[in-house]
Amino acid sequence: MNINLSRLSNIITFEIVRLFKTKRGLLALLAFATIWFIILYYFISTAADIVSSRSFERMAYDLFGALGLSALLDWPVSEYAIYWLVAVYFFPIFALSVCSDQICSDKQRGTLRFITLRSTRAELILGRYLGQLLIVTILILMTSIATAVLASIRDLALLPASLQIGAKLCFELFIVVMPFIALMSLLNTLVNSARLAIVAAMLFFGLGPLIIAVIKHQFGQEFYLNLLFPGGQISSILSQNSVVVSHYALPVIQAVVLLVASNLIMKRASI
Amino acid sequence: MSLIIDVQHVTKNYGDKIALSNVEFSLEKGAPVALVGPNGAGKTTLFSLLCGYMQPSSGCINVLGHAPGNSALFGRLSALPQDAQLDPRFSIATQLNFYARLQGMSNKLAKKDTARVLDMVGLIDAANSQPSELSHGMRKRATIAQALLGSPEIVMLDEATAGLDPANAKEVRAIVAEQAGEVNFILSSHDLSELERLCDQVLYLENGQLKQHKTLNIEGDSRFITLRMKQDFPQIIPTILQLQGVSHVSMTQDREYLLTITNHPGSENVEMDLLLLLQKNSWSYAQFINGKTLENQLF
Repeated sequence: MNINLSRLSNIITFEIVRLFKTKRGLLALLAFATIWFIILYYFISTAADIVSSRSFERMAYDLFGALGLSALLDWPVSEYAIYWLVAVYFFPIFALSVCSDQICSDKQRGTLRFITLRSTRAELILGRYLGQLLIVTILILMTSIATAVLASIRDLALLPASLQIGAKLCFELFIVVMPFIALMSLLNTLVNSARLAIVAAMLFFGLGPLIIAVIKHQFGQEFYLNLLFPGGQISSILSQNSVVVSHYALPVIQAVVLLVASNLIMKRASI
Repeated sequence: MSLIIDVQHVTKNYGDKIALSNVEFSLEKGAPVALVGPNGAGKTTLFSLLCGYMQPSSGCINVLGHAPGNSALFGRLSALPQDAQLDPRFSIATQLNFYARLQGMSNKLAKKDTARVLDMVGLIDAANSQPSELSHGMRKRATIAQALLGSPEIVMLDEATAGLDPANAKEVRAIVAEQAGEVNFILSSHDLSELERLCDQVLYLENGQLKQHKTLNIEGDSRFITLRMKQDFPQIIPTILQLQGVSHVSMTQDREYLLTITNHPGSENVEMDLLLLLQKNSWSYAQFINGKTLENQLF
């Protein structure tokens, strides 16, 4: 694989420019900020008050215990318990949507023809992927910081603990979104529009498990095909009870496999 | 002379359809080369193969000693692919600056080079405009500007003047003519008079096959003069045939005549004799062309 770091960093930087310097990017940021303002102000803040209040303490323990999430209630900053439960599902879905146009419209418009005269296809796939990953990571960091601010408004003494938990959760979310963005990279090599890429992703997650069930029923054997689906580890990491290497290894391996597949398809594709 | 492009037995199929069939040619460094052919002849496919946008079904292509798409060609080969457009969300300067940096230029140099190429195509005042704010002709010139970034050795322009008004098309031709000393241009166009003015060599494709690969106006012992008259003069052919050195006169189109001149002693002054003949008979001419028009050479 031919990768030049200077060209790669130029492609990544241009993705950041795309978010922060174009009207569409700024509008997307505004929409994201609005959604998260609603989540933080009306949901996380309110829910954190309920969870941490003495009158609801028993009910919260019963509810979280039934869901296997009681470890979250031991966190000193209850805002983060709610933040985590929202963010761990929100960001993968958000990543599928926001990263749905990595190369599609450039391919459709012919802009890719200008770029591939100056960079390898591998650099383009990896650069666009890393650019999108960086954007989503920045957004994760912003929401985590906003949660820390929210908790600090309630009690300033929570700030150090907030920063510590916030950093840990940012890392967890970073790992979680990796294969989702890589899946969109792969779908972008196969289809010609962002809308089609999203539809393909919905079909992948919607029909995929059904197909796996049929294959398992047909052959009477487990092929571990469910490992192909990004997010398979989310239910295991939700409780944050323990740190298991496979929880990190699986999404990283999935991302690498999806990117290698994207590169192989792109290498042979006519543009 | 050094070989810049070598194409060996290249075939490209789209499913059952053969777009290019066993195409074989090589080009040396020098004057612009014209790629000519009717619609669907395979010109754009050949361009795409040379740029590495697609792989041939069989055969081998070598551009400046490398396979198309090889990173060694970045900055050395540039192109204006047909119908390719810039991203409508960014200003043209931002995009050209990005391409220049991909070619290895520093940010400062990239900005300078972007200004240089935009100036060349007359778009320096529109540098900060988005493509959607520009006219079709200006967008086309912006895409031509991207092909001139840095110092490419080969520039392929696929239908560069299509859709441009005469003034803009003339501007593009002037850029090609001006740069032709340092850059090897390969041009495709349906405007044969344009190619005739700019190019010395012609690749003629038809139904995916390379029918002709020739250097213009060099044909053995004979040479040609093309004469376009303002009106019809019934006696013109027999009268011209009486001139010494003129071996054959044919009417190629309405009021257009192709004179075959045999190269032998006495035929050196045939142009002067012909002009005197026209003056004597008060036959006014529209154009007097040394050689065959490209149209007459190909069709």
